[in-house]
Amino acid sequence: MSFALAILENTIRIAKERNAWVIRKIRVEVGELLMINPEQLEFCFRSISKGTVAESAVLEIEIAKARVMCDRCGSKLNSPYTPCRCGGYGRVYGGKDMILKTVSMEVDDAQG
Amino acid sequence: MHRVEIDAQVNLLGENKRYAEENRRFLRERGIVAVNIMGAIGSGKTLLIEKTVEKMSDVKIGVILGDVVCRADYERVSKHDVVAEAINTGKECHLDAYLIHRSIRKLENVNLILIENVGNLVCPVDFDLGENKRVVMVSVTEGDDVVEKHPEIFRLADVIIINKTELAEFVGASVEKMEKDAGRLNPHAKIIKMDLKQNRGIEEWIEFLRGVMDVSGSTSRNS
Repeated sequence: MSFALAILENTIRIAKERNAWVIRKIRVEVGELLMINPEQLEFCFRSISKGTVAESAVLEIEIAKARVMCDRCGSKLNSPYTPCRCGGYGRVYGGKDMILKTVSMEVDDAQG
Repeated sequence: MHRVEIDAQVNLLGENKRYAEENRRFLRERGIVAVNIMGAIGSGKTLLIEKTVEKMSDVKIGVILGDVVCRADYERVSKHDVVAEAINTGKECHLDAYLIHRSIRKLENVNLILIENVGNLVCPVDFDLGENKRVVMVSVTEGDDVVEKHPEIFRLADVIIINKTELAEFVGASVEKMEKDAGRLNPHAKIIKMDLKQNRGIEEWIEFLRGVMDVSGSTSRNS
């Protein structure tokens, strides 16, 4: 719920800065290691955005993969939770961020 | 009226990260060590804190207790000789750096801060509090597959405590499996097998804490 709230608060702030009257689409990138279920995130967002300028917005969620390399042989691994065949362990890069990428909104012709 | 697309590029965890860095600086400047104790409900986090306070009576300890609504843990810990702060998170299932930012300012005269996070093995892992060490505590009564089911929190732990080991045979759990899963997910973590009610494993935990405090020089600053 706190992630959905962060999306909503930031999109409303951006909409206010532009005097937008409705938000049409929000694109969010979610790191896979945050273990967020996109459907749940969207459900939470739907629930809390009611009555706001983001009520009818489409929420597009893109999962960003983490990069995992073996700390011994340097091979690329598919998961941070499974050791490499050489016995090494995964060193993880990324996959823990949540980025509000773009916000599409309707603004008056004098704006934007 | 027309449509515009704003290239926002806002890191939604950025604000938490900023407060975590402030917390880290606050703690470092005062030589305070902070330990974030995460774990499932009923795994033994509060008892671990009570026993730690008893065993480390020579150290000035502050305790932050995160719970969804009640103050039961706070009441328990407050009976000991510590400065305790309760945080009720309401609907949120984790502590965050902002909540800690407010609480640690009331604990600036201690050497060691023990933070009891809200009981669950999912959300707390995503929120850096600015702590020195992360601890995850589980017990055999949660089932011996509890570690493999929650890989991320164990991957990022400095210490993994497996508690209630004396009950393993009665609940059909394998401590060895839990230990093996923990080692596979995180070869760098210290694993402590513990039975708090029997006082088993507690000395190893205290030794770990004293080691962390020695490295950070915290005992020389506020004592």
